[in-house]
Amino acid sequence: MTGERDRDETLDAPQRRARELSCLYRVVEVLGRADLPPHRAYQEVVEALPAGWRYPGICRAELTVGEEVYTPEDFSPTPWAQHAEIRVQGRAVGRLSVYYGEEVAAADEGPFLKEERQLLEMLAERIGFYILQRDPRRQGPAAARPASPRWRVVLPFMERMDPRLLQWITRKMLNHLRWKGVAEARELLPTYPAGEEPGPGEENRPLGRAAHRETTAPTDEVFRLAGTHCTEEEILSLVQMWISQDRVRFLIGTLEDQASSFADITDALERFTTLGVREEELPRSVQTMLRVALLRRFFTDDIDFINIAKELVSLTDFQGLARRLLHAANSHGKLGGKAAGLFLAHRVVEASAESAGALADVRVPRTWYIASDSVLAFLRFNHLEEVYDRKYLDLDQVRQQYPNIVEAFRASSFPPELVKGMSAALEDLGEGPIIVRSSSLLEDQSGAAFSGKYKSLFLANRGTRQERLRALQDAVAEVYASIFSPDPIEYRAERNLLDVHEEMGIMIQEVVGTAVGPYFLPSFSGVAVNNNELRWSSRIRREDGLLRMVPGLGTRAVDRLVDDYPVLLSPGQPGLRVNTTAEETLRYAPRMLDVIDLEGNAFGTVPVADLLRGFGDRLPLMRKIVSVLEDGRLRPPRAGGLAAEEGQPLVTFEGLATETPFLARMATLLAVLRARFGVAVEVEFAHDGRHLYLLQCRPQSYPEAGAPALIPRNVPPDRVLLRARRHVSNGRVPHITHLVYVDPDAYALLPDVARMRAVGQAVSRLNTLLPRRRFILMGPGRWGSRGDIRLGVSVTYSDVNNAAVLVEIARQREGYAPDLSFGTHFFQDLVEAEIRYLPLYPDEEDGYLAEDFLRGARNLLPVLLPDMAELADVVRVVDVGAERPGQVLSVLMDGEEEEALGYFTPAAPPLEADLTGPHLALERVTRTPRQHDHAHWRYRVAEQLAARVDAARQGVRGLWLVGSAYSGTATAASAIDLVVRFQGTPEARRELEVWLDGWSRALAAANYLRTGVRMSGLLDVRWVREEDVPSGSGPAAGTGAPADPARRLRLGNGGTGP
Amino acid sequence: MGASARSLGRVRQGPPFPGLTNVRKKLNKAYNSFEVAQAQFDHIADRLELDTGARELLRNPLREYAFAIPVRMDDGTTRVFRGFRVQHNDARGPSKGGIRFHPQESLDTVRALAMWMTWKCAVVDIPLGGAKGGVVCDPHDLGAREQEQICRGWVRQVVNDVGPLRDVPAPDVMTTPQHMLWMLDEFEALNRTRLPGFITGKPVGMGGSLGRKEATGYGVVFTIREALRTMELGAAETTASVQGFGNVAQHAIRLYTELGGRVQCVSCWDQKDRQSYAYRKETGIDLDELLGITDAFGGIDHDRARDLGYEILPGEDWLVQEVDVLIPCALENQIHAENVGRISSRVRIIAEGANGPTSPAADRVIHERGIFLIPDLLANAGGVTCSYFEQVQSNMNYYWERDEVLSKLDVKMTAAFNAVSTLAAGRELYMRDAAYIIAVERVAQACRDRGWI
Repeated sequence: MTGERDRDETLDAPQRRARELSCLYRVVEVLGRADLPPHRAYQEVVEALPAGWRYPGICRAELTVGEEVYTPEDFSPTPWAQHAEIRVQGRAVGRLSVYYGEEVAAADEGPFLKEERQLLEMLAERIGFYILQRDPRRQGPAAARPASPRWRVVLPFMERMDPRLLQWITRKMLNHLRWKGVAEARELLPTYPAGEEPGPGEENRPLGRAAHRETTAPTDEVFRLAGTHCTEEEILSLVQMWISQDRVRFLIGTLEDQASSFADITDALERFTTLGVREEELPRSVQTMLRVALLRRFFTDDIDFINIAKELVSLTDFQGLARRLLHAANSHGKLGGKAAGLFLAHRVVEASAESAGALADVRVPRTWYIASDSVLAFLRFNHLEEVYDRKYLDLDQVRQQYPNIVEAFRASSFPPELVKGMSAALEDLGEGPIIVRSSSLLEDQSGAAFSGKYKSLFLANRGTRQERLRALQDAVAEVYASIFSPDPIEYRAERNLLDVHEEMGIMIQEVVGTAVGPYFLPSFSGVAVNNNELRWSSRIRREDGLLRMVPGLGTRAVDRLVDDYPVLLSPGQPGLRVNTTAEETLRYAPRMLDVIDLEGNAFGTVPVADLLRGFGDRLPLMRKIVSVLEDGRLRPPRAGGLAAEEGQPLVTFEGLATETPFLARMATLLAVLRARFGVAVEVEFAHDGRHLYLLQCRPQSYPEAGAPALIPRNVPPDRVLLRARRHVSNGRVPHITHLVYVDPDAYALLPDVARMRAVGQAVSRLNTLLPRRRFILMGPGRWGSRGDIRLGVSVTYSDVNNAAVLVEIARQREGYAPDLSFGTHFFQDLVEAEIRYLPLYPDEEDGYLAEDFLRGARNLLPVLLPDMAELADVVRVVDVGAERPGQVLSVLMDGEEEEALGYFTPAAPPLEADLTGPHLALERVTRTPRQHDHAHWRYRVAEQLAARVDAARQGVRGLWLVGSAYSGTATAASAIDLVVRFQGTPEARRELEVWLDGWSRALAAANYLRTGVRMSGLLDVRWVREEDVPSGSGPAAGTGAPADPARRLRLGNGGTGP
Repeated sequence: MGASARSLGRVRQGPPFPGLTNVRKKLNKAYNSFEVAQAQFDHIADRLELDTGARELLRNPLREYAFAIPVRMDDGTTRVFRGFRVQHNDARGPSKGGIRFHPQESLDTVRALAMWMTWKCAVVDIPLGGAKGGVVCDPHDLGAREQEQICRGWVRQVVNDVGPLRDVPAPDVMTTPQHMLWMLDEFEALNRTRLPGFITGKPVGMGGSLGRKEATGYGVVFTIREALRTMELGAAETTASVQGFGNVAQHAIRLYTELGGRVQCVSCWDQKDRQSYAYRKETGIDLDELLGITDAFGGIDHDRARDLGYEILPGEDWLVQEVDVLIPCALENQIHAENVGRISSRVRIIAEGANGPTSPAADRVIHERGIFLIPDLLANAGGVTCSYFEQVQSNMNYYWERDEVLSKLDVKMTAAFNAVSTLAAGRELYMRDAAYIIAVERVAQACRDRGWI
């Protein structure tokens, strides 16, 4: 009861007027209904009346007409009453009364306002008129006269109660009439000075002020015109809409005021709820304005986002968000990129035609939000402002200090309003596991996915209330701290985003899943993308999409895995499998899964086999997820349960793919999202066995090497090595220094299997000799084919795992080009290692391979593998830098345009000028200097190391820097390649080895601080004995190294030259 | 051994099957597996002094079927696949051989493999001929329903020319037991009867045979046991090193250990480290102990192996162990010119559990060093013998217990080994040559007996 009162107190005068008006309106409407018998009409009047009074909750009305008394059911008279007589032609026929159920603050007339008295009198008058009209004795003249339009009743009332509103509505009506083309309406318009009528003119001077005064358009005249040109229904609905619009002015005002805080907005939204105005009753323009303003305040200023979202959201959605939003006092934050993407995706799904069909099952987990600027409040509250400048420190300092920041954050406390909010959130979310996810502002600005750069933490959420709250606070603090962790800072630095203001919203979300034994996990999770960049069959089109699915939590589907494999499926080609035989399926089946360990109260990883053996039968949808391998065959699990299975259970999702509409649904989901978002999207999802939950949705991102590359158009033909136009996926592989080319023609002419096998061995050995990820392998047909060895070089994944790109050349023979493997022989290994695959059809119109260059270049094979020199006609190893001094090969692949180009380009900065376009421009500004840094730093430390060599004592006759540090292409994970020419005793050699090993470890530690890349040692030393090398020959001679360019380092003690 | 090798100088020039580079040099053109197989045959035919008619008959298939298989694809279009069946020779009984799904299948490949099946069945003396089939397709490009249509289409095209007593298919490259069941079902539907003996490789309970998992590995050890017997050695006095830890290797280790032998080293691929390791224990590895620390994917946990007292060595070191027997059970071409010299002088026997684990160059060295080689054709014939048993059981619709299968396998393998080794000893042949000679001779004799030649 008091709640009602409190809420009503908050209404200001115009709000109350609007209230009274709508009460009057309602009564007029009821009395105007011819189909309603009088006793029903009277009863409805009694019910409708309290809404017009100040405290509707405790207000009751009573209507007496003749002998009949009408009251609501729970009516009882009280002392706090107000009465008005009902008169018909001067004679009292009844009484209309209003009672308050309890005492309230005194006003103009007892507890009542004077406006309320006016309203009561007016209502009584209307009822009298109604009785008169119904009076059978009055039949005749009165009945013949048309009843005056209902809206007419309202006008005088408005005039009395809210003249401002009436004026406003009059103006609106006048505009409306004018818009309708009513000629007289033009004359009623306020006049502008001659020639000053504002129009689409181009004059730049301000309009004259003149007649543009606060006009009082003649209400009667306007509505007379309206009565002539509009139907009664039209006028009624217009007036009602304008009244509603007037009532939400406060909301518009709050939203447009940049100073209003989240609290103000939340209040305004709450107030809006109490008004009972339906959103659809507002003019479209107002609806749109409100939605846009709310989208902007809650989510983002991003115009694309707003354009999509404004058609899909309603004010109710924001009320829902506001109720689960935690923020500090005076917050102006937002919910962050992740929350925005998920919110929008959910709206898109709900608004789609499939929301009751294929997508009926799609949900979003229950979520609470912390506004993005709460992190600032948190820092202020704990006097931690000094962390702000951390991002500008050198990366090694950032790395060093980060653990301290985490500790400091975890030891800090939250402002009380946030603690209270988190407590409420926990109450609402219950005792199931939760995840605290970052949702930063940069996530939606940077375009490049920030995913995984900031922390997301799973909480088992077990224990006492206090323990759970403590754990949640620690988690939020740790996620906050991740703003200052080295990874995202380096990422931002590389993209010139350091100076961008970063705030972090937080999502506290229930974890989707079920308890299975001691674990809590979803039945499966995954990532779905519109554009399939990992096509394992020529039948799969890019737009067929791709799912990366894993059992358990989705962490393993999101990240690239080192020693495990997700299951890949293409929703557009539901029948095609990456792995077709039992052996393949076994080899690439997921081995581990991520869970929440309820007993350990922590996130954990367990072997799939253990979970299935122990608790598989309790996992929802298990029979759709698992296949059993028995007798070389995969089959669904038997009814007896997994525990009784003789065969080996594997996660394949075969049942899901073939026995359920899951893949079709995912295809629909992806299509619906893409259509609305207008771009390819990337969706994270989880399934608890009953429903599919969206966890994240954003424009599809690509791993750094997997973004579509911009193909330059004006590359001179003599710089092109290869061109491909079919089945191209994305990729960008710059800095290729060596080419390994297995000549398809020569290979086809090899007379025996032994030599074909030898080609495979040569490739395998080159794989270990050539610089990792800096060479490409080009060969005929199918790499790693297990069929006829003529069709492709027989290799396993480990024989090619250091290559950057695998090119399969489909040379036409006798009129047909062979099918290529699409890397399927070790497709999933290539995927996880991000080795690019490129099919090349040189005999087709758009395909090209510079075979003359490859055949004419100096072949290093005899140098590198002297014992395999006989294969030199077949296997060609080309050092790009030797053939084209100062250049490397760059392979650019653009899956969207189905185009790939491999061309020679200068090795180090300056980058060539013909690479323009925004993408590359950005690269040039930000990436390259950074990369250059790695090489530069290595160069410098190599010089320092050399200067400390005691050449004479240590037996060092020469020291060269080779490889990536010299060529300027070193990455954070590159070793420093040194060639040592040594002459001395074995003891001296051992001593030198120990000395270099010490350096190697120390430099690895320093490199870790700089880059976060852990390596056990940083030096890669090749030894050359003095007598092996003819004097005057280059450093690489005798090292077995490809003819690397090299730099001789100045040794200490003047031991520089021979 | 050295004397016998000298007396066979002509043979030694050309390395034994399947290398034979000397013959191929004459070809002086692109590698063609069928021509190579024919050249291999010619080489044996020379030694057997077969007449022209016999050569002509045996160096070519008896019958070849090439046909189109139209399939309505999932997207509504129709694609036509090329299918093959080659029956090389069925003089000794119904022909037998796998069906391959491969995108670059060719008739020549299938011909070569069909011929190889003829010799393979003959060397273990099972009453079957040789055949092979295939479809030009890549299952990676095909949905399950489409694959089923290919299987059924293949059977429809050759239904009158195959069958339990004519030609019996089996799984091969990229074909699975599921494919076999679809084919069987189609065949039975067309014949309106149940004929489980039409195809092998079926799951147990659907016409498959028990003991198949063990068959190849056990077969390898049966031949090793017999080879030791010719050297008047008992398995219990010997040690072995095994390459690979798959199905064949595991069962070979199991039986060899049961016979009292000591396996000191086994190499195993490590998926995580992407390389193989050799696990050594001088006192003998414990198979069950290792299986206990093997993941579902066949990889041994090397940390736990170290805790259990195993030495972890580079994968190739399985080859250099001081043992009596080497058993390569992994891939092709594992013993080659570069590492054959590292084989310990103690090694007496190499038993080829894998197909073609020895390169021609290495084969020459092994021959010269007098190491007793049990060639793949013979050593790993346990698999095809068990397929034969499956067919026999299916035909009588009565299925044996595992032990019965394995004891029958023992009888077959022992007899086959003895025939080959007797021939090798009697005519001073290298075991690999002896195996081929005995195979070709048996087939030629069957053709003669039938009056074909």
